[in-house]
Amino acid sequence: MSQRLSHVLLTLGKELRESLRDRRTLAVMILFPLVVYPLLSLLAAQVAVARDKTRQARPSLVAVTGRGGARDDLMARIRERPKLLTLVERGSRADVTAGRLDGLVQLGEASASRAEIVYDAGREESREAAERLSDVIASVLPEGCAPIFSLEKRSLAPEAGVGGYLLSKVLPLLVVLMVLLGAFYPAIDVTAGERERGTLETVLCSPIRRFDLLLGKVLAVTALAALTGVLNLASMSVTLIQVAHLADPGSSLPVPWTRAAAAAGVVLPSAFLFASLFVAIGAVARGFKEAQHLLTPAYFLSIAPAVAGAIGEYRLAGLAAWIPCMNVTLLARELLLGRIPWSGALATLASTLACGCAALAVAAHIYSSERFVDPVPRKRASDAVRPANHPTAGQAMFLYALAFVLLYFVWLPLQRRNLVLGLLASEWGGLLGLVVLFASVTRRSLVDLLPIVRPPLRCLAGAALVGLSAWAAVAILSEWVSPVPKEVIEQLRRGLVPTDGSRGLLGTLALVALTPAICEEALFRGPILRGLRARVGPAAAVALTGLLFGVFHLELSRILPIALLGVLLSLVALESGSILPAMLAHFLNNASLVGLAYFRIDERVAEVGSMGSALIFVAAALLTALGLRLVHSGGRQAKL
Amino acid sequence: MIGAETPGSASPLTALEAAVTLDRACKSFGDLRAVVDLTLSVVPGEVYGLLGPNGAGKTTALRMLAGLLQPSSGRALMLGLDAGSLQAKTRMGFLSGSTGLYARLTPRETLQYFGRIHALSEVDLRRRIATLARWLALESLLDRRCESLSSGEKQRVSLARAVLHDPPVLILDEPTSGLDVLASRSLRDFVGSERARGKAVLFSTHYLAEAELLCDRIGLLFRGRLLREGTPASIRAECGANTLEEAFLKLVDRE
Repeated sequence: MSQRLSHVLLTLGKELRESLRDRRTLAVMILFPLVVYPLLSLLAAQVAVARDKTRQARPSLVAVTGRGGARDDLMARIRERPKLLTLVERGSRADVTAGRLDGLVQLGEASASRAEIVYDAGREESREAAERLSDVIASVLPEGCAPIFSLEKRSLAPEAGVGGYLLSKVLPLLVVLMVLLGAFYPAIDVTAGERERGTLETVLCSPIRRFDLLLGKVLAVTALAALTGVLNLASMSVTLIQVAHLADPGSSLPVPWTRAAAAAGVVLPSAFLFASLFVAIGAVARGFKEAQHLLTPAYFLSIAPAVAGAIGEYRLAGLAAWIPCMNVTLLARELLLGRIPWSGALATLASTLACGCAALAVAAHIYSSERFVDPVPRKRASDAVRPANHPTAGQAMFLYALAFVLLYFVWLPLQRRNLVLGLLASEWGGLLGLVVLFASVTRRSLVDLLPIVRPPLRCLAGAALVGLSAWAAVAILSEWVSPVPKEVIEQLRRGLVPTDGSRGLLGTLALVALTPAICEEALFRGPILRGLRARVGPAAAVALTGLLFGVFHLELSRILPIALLGVLLSLVALESGSILPAMLAHFLNNASLVGLAYFRIDERVAEVGSMGSALIFVAAALLTALGLRLVHSGGRQAKL
Repeated sequence: MIGAETPGSASPLTALEAAVTLDRACKSFGDLRAVVDLTLSVVPGEVYGLLGPNGAGKTTALRMLAGLLQPSSGRALMLGLDAGSLQAKTRMGFLSGSTGLYARLTPRETLQYFGRIHALSEVDLRRRIATLARWLALESLLDRRCESLSSGEKQRVSLARAVLHDPPVLILDEPTSGLDVLASRSLRDFVGSERARGKAVLFSTHYLAEAELLCDRIGLLFRGRLLREGTPASIRAECGANTLEEAFLKLVDRE
């Protein structure tokens, strides 16, 4: 028995050792969920907050019919809540049905004891209006007294409308998830599966064009994914309506097949997009397991915008109509609600097909390359340019993931208890400390790792110029592309300059300018940028570092400006060959923002106007470009 | 046999008559030079064996001829056509030891798929499948799923797939690896019969005894370079060895 137990333990030990040595397994099983789930939850929370704010920001359009003092009393109470309810003088049931009115209160003609709220249960805005109106009516008498109205709610929505509304709550996201899942395994099977079975070589030796082969595979995966989507849509439609019947046995909701069929229209384009994307990714995998590892992040990244579309209060218009996955969810919801937003639908179709074609083009490129025939990694020429003291790309990503996990699970809770202490700990311990630990574990000198090299004066001058000007260009640009909400700016300002005067200017500068300039640069422009550069070209390394920097700040609405700043700082670090100019630029950038908030200059930005903004942007962008130019020439001079 | 007797030069006669030609072909993967300046040719009715240890460059050389890889420099030709072209691929059958089959298809469905890629008419395809099934003893297997076949049966189906369109050139990359004695023997018999029908056969192996039995000429490849080329007898004689294996070891020792 003891020998059997020892065999079990031996096997356990051997299997664990083997699995833990597989870095991909580690990444997917441990680091990936630790990083992706917090990111997704953050996204969901921020979208939900934005949704509630949007909902609260729009007052419901309501009217009251009937006669007498009760009507006047109710109307007066409605007028007391202008943020929630806007009263119109006249309204009818037809207005509610047509969507011109969100809710209507009909008071009984004979006596004022009966109030009926008329609304459209097939519209979110109308349901919200009914809730608000019932709150108002319930508050007509002080608490504890009997209400003077007996309240009834009556929905004018047709049964299909209510059924469509119910389905629109759940189905759009589920359909996208099911199409994604429907594409996942077939895509692996037709790419990595074919390679693993040894049939790929055979078919490539046959007189068939590689693009034709690829297109056949993509269409097969599209068909399977679309079939999965349609079957799920049908099954879920029936199930949800059945659940509604079970919850309310008296209701007689039919399945809104016309609307469900219209919503099924989104299945095919999304199936094509996911099929192209997954086949492109699967094409570079050496086997089934590797394909799973590569496709899983793509799967989660595709889910994120779909989730945002499903839980957010976004309309299918503007930028939202062009964001892949999100627009498909929004379009399915609109169609289930019985609306056909033509321009949004066209934008959704165009963007989904364009992304699908782009993924197909990438797949075609992979199929025509020799790496497709023989994806065994060989020694790359680029490895030769990586100096021995530079970290690898894998180490860079590991450090990033570790810093992210520590930030989310350790430093953020600490910051919630004590902001200053938490900030200092996360920066000096979580970032700089991590870099020092990495240098010591891998026996690298910190001076070589970052690298700390005395830069030429021209580099420092250029970096100073970037630090003093980039914030303006970045802020105005992001305001044009994707404006940061006012509450976020206000919160940021309170963080920069506390109103209670608890921290002087120097203290604030030390905390929010000097500390991040040293600690954030040490990690991002140190091992992360250098490690990525060892794997990819300079442009990709700079862009990736900027993106990682943007995501690390955990604020969805500020990702763009922070990522842009990250790109500029990465350029400064790479061009100068030293971490010091990037630290200087980062310090001056943050110090400028502190100065703006401290002297309350930012409050007067609105007075500048659009023409003024454009001029400031041009001037700031030119100064930043000049700064980068100086850094570049200084860096070249140093290399010579 | 007609052919280039000395490595590194393709005679005009060979270039004209050869079914398969590698002309000063090189192939590099980054810093790795897998095949260096390789010249060889195979004429119709000839079995040419490309021999060498693992990592010698045999598979890379064959993949250039099968149109899977482009030479970094030099040429790979199939009946005078660029080996990577679709026309060249219609004239060539390729089989390797690691070739697999579509597990969830039957041999008949597999053969139909490849036959249609080769644009065989439905009548010709039916006739050809029947002939090959008789020839390779596949009749009882045609409608079973490939996943249920034994290794030898799978290799016979793969062979049928490779010669389905009756190509004038056969490229076989270690076709007997993983096969038992009987299956290897039947494959060698098949190659012999194809030679008798005037096909040019180029195959690689690291079983030197197998090559001695089957090949009209052999090329010894080592670290991407052609060490020697000639008939098995001439190479043995040149090295003063009794077997090809002995000759090969002597040649490698000299390197």
